[in-house]
Amino acid sequence: MPLAMLKPGETACIKKINGGRTAKGKLTDLGFVSGKTVKIHRSSGGPLIVGLGDNRVALGRGMAHKVIVETKGCEN
Amino acid sequence: MALNKTKRKNNELKVALAGNPNSGKTTMFNELTGSRQHVGNWPGVTVEKKTGRDSYQNYSLEVIDLPGTYSLGAYSEDEVVARDFLTTGDYDVVLNIINSSNLDRNLYFTVQLLEMGVDLIAVLNMADEAEKKGIKIDKEKIGQLLGTPVVETVASKGRGIDSLLAETVQHRDLSEAALKIDYGSEVEDLISEVVSMLKEFDFTSQINQRWAAVKLIEHDPEAVKLLEREVGVSKAKKIKSLIAERELKAEDDFDNIIIDKKYEFINKVISESVQRPAADQEPENVSDKIDAIVTNKYLGIPIFMAVMWGIFKFTFTLGDPLIGYIEAFFEAAGGWLGGLLVGAGISPLITSFITDGIIGGVGSVLVFIPNIFLLFLAIGILEDSGYMSRAAYVMDKVMSKLGLHGKSFIPMIVGFGCNVPGVMATRTLDSKRDRIISILINPLMSCSARLPVYVVFAGALFPNHASTVVFSLYALGIVMAVIMAGIFNKILFKGERSHFVMELPPYRFPTLKGVFIHMWEKVGAFIKKAGTIIFAVVVLIWVLANLPLGVEYASAQSLIGQFGQLMAPIFEPLGFGNWQAASSLVFGILAKEVVVGTLGVVYAAGEGGLRAALTANFSPLAAYSFLTMVLLYTPCIATLGAIKSETQSWKWPIITASYLFVLAWLVSFVIYQGGMLLGIGV
Ligand SMILES: Nc1nc2c(ncn2[C@@H]2O[C@H](COP(=O)(O)OP(=O)(O)OP(=O)(O)O)[C@@H](O)[C@H]2O)c(=O)[nH]1
Ligand SMILES: [Mg+2]
Repeated sequence: MPLAMLKPGETACIKKINGGRTAKGKLTDLGFVSGKTVKIHRSSGGPLIVGLGDNRVALGRGMAHKVIVETKGCEN
Repeated sequence: MALNKTKRKNNELKVALAGNPNSGKTTMFNELTGSRQHVGNWPGVTVEKKTGRDSYQNYSLEVIDLPGTYSLGAYSEDEVVARDFLTTGDYDVVLNIINSSNLDRNLYFTVQLLEMGVDLIAVLNMADEAEKKGIKIDKEKIGQLLGTPVVETVASKGRGIDSLLAETVQHRDLSEAALKIDYGSEVEDLISEVVSMLKEFDFTSQINQRWAAVKLIEHDPEAVKLLEREVGVSKAKKIKSLIAERELKAEDDFDNIIIDKKYEFINKVISESVQRPAADQEPENVSDKIDAIVTNKYLGIPIFMAVMWGIFKFTFTLGDPLIGYIEAFFEAAGGWLGGLLVGAGISPLITSFITDGIIGGVGSVLVFIPNIFLLFLAIGILEDSGYMSRAAYVMDKVMSKLGLHGKSFIPMIVGFGCNVPGVMATRTLDSKRDRIISILINPLMSCSARLPVYVVFAGALFPNHASTVVFSLYALGIVMAVIMAGIFNKILFKGERSHFVMELPPYRFPTLKGVFIHMWEKVGAFIKKAGTIIFAVVVLIWVLANLPLGVEYASAQSLIGQFGQLMAPIFEPLGFGNWQAASSLVFGILAKEVVVGTLGVVYAAGEGGLRAALTANFSPLAAYSFLTMVLLYTPCIATLGAIKSETQSWKWPIITASYLFVLAWLVSFVIYQGGMLLGIGV
């Protein structure tokens, strides 16, 4: 499911990044790559704030729909 | 690697600082070269290339600071500057500034440079923050795995600079071989085929061929363009169709595989060289706690407004008494000097030049040093704290209604200092459309040059409500920017919106040094401006006020008087149809402080003081209408020049200059005529 659907406090594992060259490239650049754990810090209508390790990233809703995650969490 | 490297003398080195945004490159640059470039705790502070010099032992170093970038993908203009320099530039070694507490993402860029075959030194900066988090990095090991020298630094405290310099001057083309990551048999087979085709087609570019092949497989547009230039479109097509053919057969997209393998490599490097405490033993994250409040759905915008109000109050309440002292000083000096010169039998013309021209004109502007000083002190603290990207996050709600997003708000905040860097800061937006709209509305952010005009008028005509009046102008500017952005969004062009992804760096305590550097730089620039352009214009106006020969000084018959009278009818319906106001607005386009300088000269403020002259010549309503005009009308030439160079066309500066003039006229008209009807302030 897309990252945008998760609730604050939830963590998930990134499976895939959709989108065109720019969208995908920018997400990858900031560390949204498959196999990484993300945590939702804020999601309330507007952009999300997510945690990638120690990093905090603000992410527009449209972009958050391009990040496909699985709630089971990553293997390691 | 030797790209376009030119021959330099043995003891001369060209060193480039590159790395992720906000990793401390400019801090390092300032430390190395003694420059005072802008540092701030948000990603995207530096948007252009800067050069400085340093020497170490008997070496002479040319140091280049680049905009930050997360990869060589270059999705926005600032990143293009960095990418172009790194892929085609002339340099000996790259100091890759890495945020030690954020290794995996930073190394993603490092790996890309190493694959390209760049000679680099891995600079593990922000070592202090990594230590605090309990992250332990085995320098030797990481250097061995990456095949580069490694130096640990804390740029903000000057730690590790010496070892870095020692390493830099020793570093000479050690690694001819570029880093090779194993992309798995499927991709590797394709890479070797593409490489052999490149060889066959005489792809002579100095670029590492394996790297070029990988870039082509990733469909990197720049690589494709380069290939087409080098070998011609038809041969390039052969390579492209080979890649496309393989891609069809493959299970996953090649670019996904390439990214995953890069990260796999990075994770391996990190697992072998970095130790960090278990998740439950990590120190608590203070930034998250602050963010829980600051980015709260309901509190976010009120907090932002409170911050802006705080900055504003700080600038005024502390500045006002200081202005009073300086003003008193200039007035006393004007009177005393005037008396002295007349007494000494100096010609009245020279006396007038000094008292009316220099003291009345330039002095009226210099009076505002305390405000400028305090404003930039406050902005410096704001920028260093890490709040900037939070403000952008919070304002996304408003900006997205205008078809922009939160990141477009950062250039607007920068514009409160000066619109020139504000316009340049739009480089970080990745869509052309968002950039143009952001550029067009940036001059509506009231810059520091307009502050003197507000303060002098507000002090003269609204002595009891001065700060409310000035704050209302700032607010009016923002409201107009919002309205205009909404209009441009509707009429201007469709086109892709920017993608909103933005790092929120940890909050940091503003360093005294960082904040003061910024402030001195700005105050220095202000004084320099007073001594150059403002001085020159003031002298010109004084001359025009004395011509034709024998005319009464600054009378309606003087050249400046005649010129002002020519312009005045335009402003008549706005309540300030006097020639003094009209000419100050026209000259104000050269630099907004000149509005005050001109009024100082034409009202001979060196003696009586400018405030008294304004009280005598403006009603409160006319003054407010005038201030609205100053806020909104045509931006200064420096801003127009920046718009020209950022958009590469005359079209946008012309549009900006004209729409703003019309907007200013209309709003002032409504204010003045409305006020007249209601009988307010007349
Ligand atoms: N704790 C700590 N802070 C640092 C260090 N180096 C830089 N900083 C801070 O990090 C922030 C970013 O510094 P800059 O020098 O502007 O970073 P930059 O890499 O030039 O950023 P861009 O121009 O946006 O790419 C500032 O707040 C600095 O004070 C360091 O070694 N330790
Ligand atoms: Mg910088």
